[in-house]
Amino acid sequence: MTVRIRIQETGESAIRVSGASGDREIDWRVVHKIARAVTTPGIDGVHSAIPTYESVLIEFDAERTSLAAVHAIVQAVAGELDPDEPLTHAPREFVVPVLYGGEHGPDLPDVARLTGWSEEAVIAAHLAPTYVIRCLGAPGGSPMLDGPELPVPVPRLTSPRTHVPQGVVSLAGRQATITPAAAPGGWSLIGRTPFTMIDLSSEPLVPYAPGDSLRFQRIDAERFHELEGQRLRATEAAL
Amino acid sequence: MGLPVNGALDQYSARAANILVANHENAPLVEALAFDIAFVPSVDILIAATGARMTLTVAGAERPMWEPVPVAAGQEVRLSDMTGGMRTYVAVHGGFDVPELLGSCAPDSVIEFGQQFADGAAIPLNASTRAPVNPYFGMSLFNFDVAVPYFGDTAVIDVTDGPDIAEFAGTADRLFRAPYVVSTRSNQIGLRLTGDLPERATEGEMISRGVPVGAVEVPPGDELLVLHRGRGVTAGYPVLAVVTSTSLDTLGQARPETAVTFRHVSLEHASRDARAWRERLDQLRDRVATVFSCLGVEPCSAHAPTGRGTA
Repeated sequence: MTVRIRIQETGESAIRVSGASGDREIDWRVVHKIARAVTTPGIDGVHSAIPTYESVLIEFDAERTSLAAVHAIVQAVAGELDPDEPLTHAPREFVVPVLYGGEHGPDLPDVARLTGWSEEAVIAAHLAPTYVIRCLGAPGGSPMLDGPELPVPVPRLTSPRTHVPQGVVSLAGRQATITPAAAPGGWSLIGRTPFTMIDLSSEPLVPYAPGDSLRFQRIDAERFHELEGQRLRATEAAL
Repeated sequence: MGLPVNGALDQYSARAANILVANHENAPLVEALAFDIAFVPSVDILIAATGARMTLTVAGAERPMWEPVPVAAGQEVRLSDMTGGMRTYVAVHGGFDVPELLGSCAPDSVIEFGQQFADGAAIPLNASTRAPVNPYFGMSLFNFDVAVPYFGDTAVIDVTDGPDIAEFAGTADRLFRAPYVVSTRSNQIGLRLTGDLPERATEGEMISRGVPVGAVEVPPGDELLVLHRGRGVTAGYPVLAVVTSTSLDTLGQARPETAVTFRHVSLEHASRDARAWRERLDQLRDRVATVFSCLGVEPCSAHAPTGRGTA
């Protein structure tokens, strides 16, 4: 099976490679596999790859290599990969406790209004899926997920917040995430986890990777305080 | 990883400072942001200050920026009166011994890593190497004639077309009509500029994608956003244009109120500029290596960070 991709120049030091198979799952696997292949040691001049849902941004040193050379590398890599092979053979599972609404989820009423659903129905939709971690994004290695099944996409805030604390559980468009680090943000905040996601003393800094799975679990304020500051860890594999 | 490469916003000046003291060009160095700094070394050192124009004095005597400057133990080094640009870099022969994360000491304000120095802070140096101290007080030992960039009230910034330029159908050219003004809300994550904003012709929510350093975006609000090295690696806004890697150095020195004129260039032009930038630094390194080997100064190859940027 041939892998279909689209390459767009993004300045003299980067290209955006998008999957063009027409199938989201295949596109996602393809761009993540390309990211892995081009950041394998030995490919001169390429210094980073940022794979997301359906595209990967590949950054390189224009002083050491050229757009043409990077194009050729990407085409060669795409020609050799198997788009049907799973991204992760042994995905881990993470369970993230969330306190929904109130001061920790100030946008939950707006999301409910937008969807025409009750707040409880929005929470139920957010709790329902076992999510696949699609990619690590900003800020600080956020686990980027496909959003819950809502009747309409959630628009980004017209006036982004200048400070969103760490641990916030949020929605935008057809996406969902948890923010491991405090940063400005334009996503709708529906809850917060008491867990700490990022650990500067470990490498990688966050415990999960693209391809792992993640579920949310509803907790109350009392449980939130009990769990506050604990590190997110993968669920022990069933024996 | 979900983290930006980060590092010095003016890479040319930062790398030149390290090269001038025979360090690996990615070695940790100190960035002075807009304010004066002064320090006193406990051992003889060789320093170089580059970047934004300041007055450099050693024990009260003026010394040149953009040249290696010997400093004896106990002498006060002072950088004051920044008159052009925003960021001055100070490299020390042998480098600083500072914590690293993923191979870089570069501060990241989002994950709260890195060091900011307050009054009275001590910065450990790597194992001291013999610094050549000029026995003839007041004379400069060196004259490397580095190409010094211009930092003033205006800046011309080269951009190439962004991958999402079609989303700004008919209004993308506004970027080139009149200068934009750098706002005080700018930082190492991005510069915000006021001016005649291009408008997105399409509606709807975009899926998050990797965004390059230099991405020019029009987020909600009344400012243009140009992302710099501390940017979040993903975003859901269309990329109108991308600042060239050499112009990113210039933007890294653009103070609030600087009038920025964007200029459209081809990818070939941008790549040529990037190679010329590399040649200038490589030639400087060769000249420094020749002079230093004559003086018996050892190059510091020991500390060569593996991946990312410079302090």
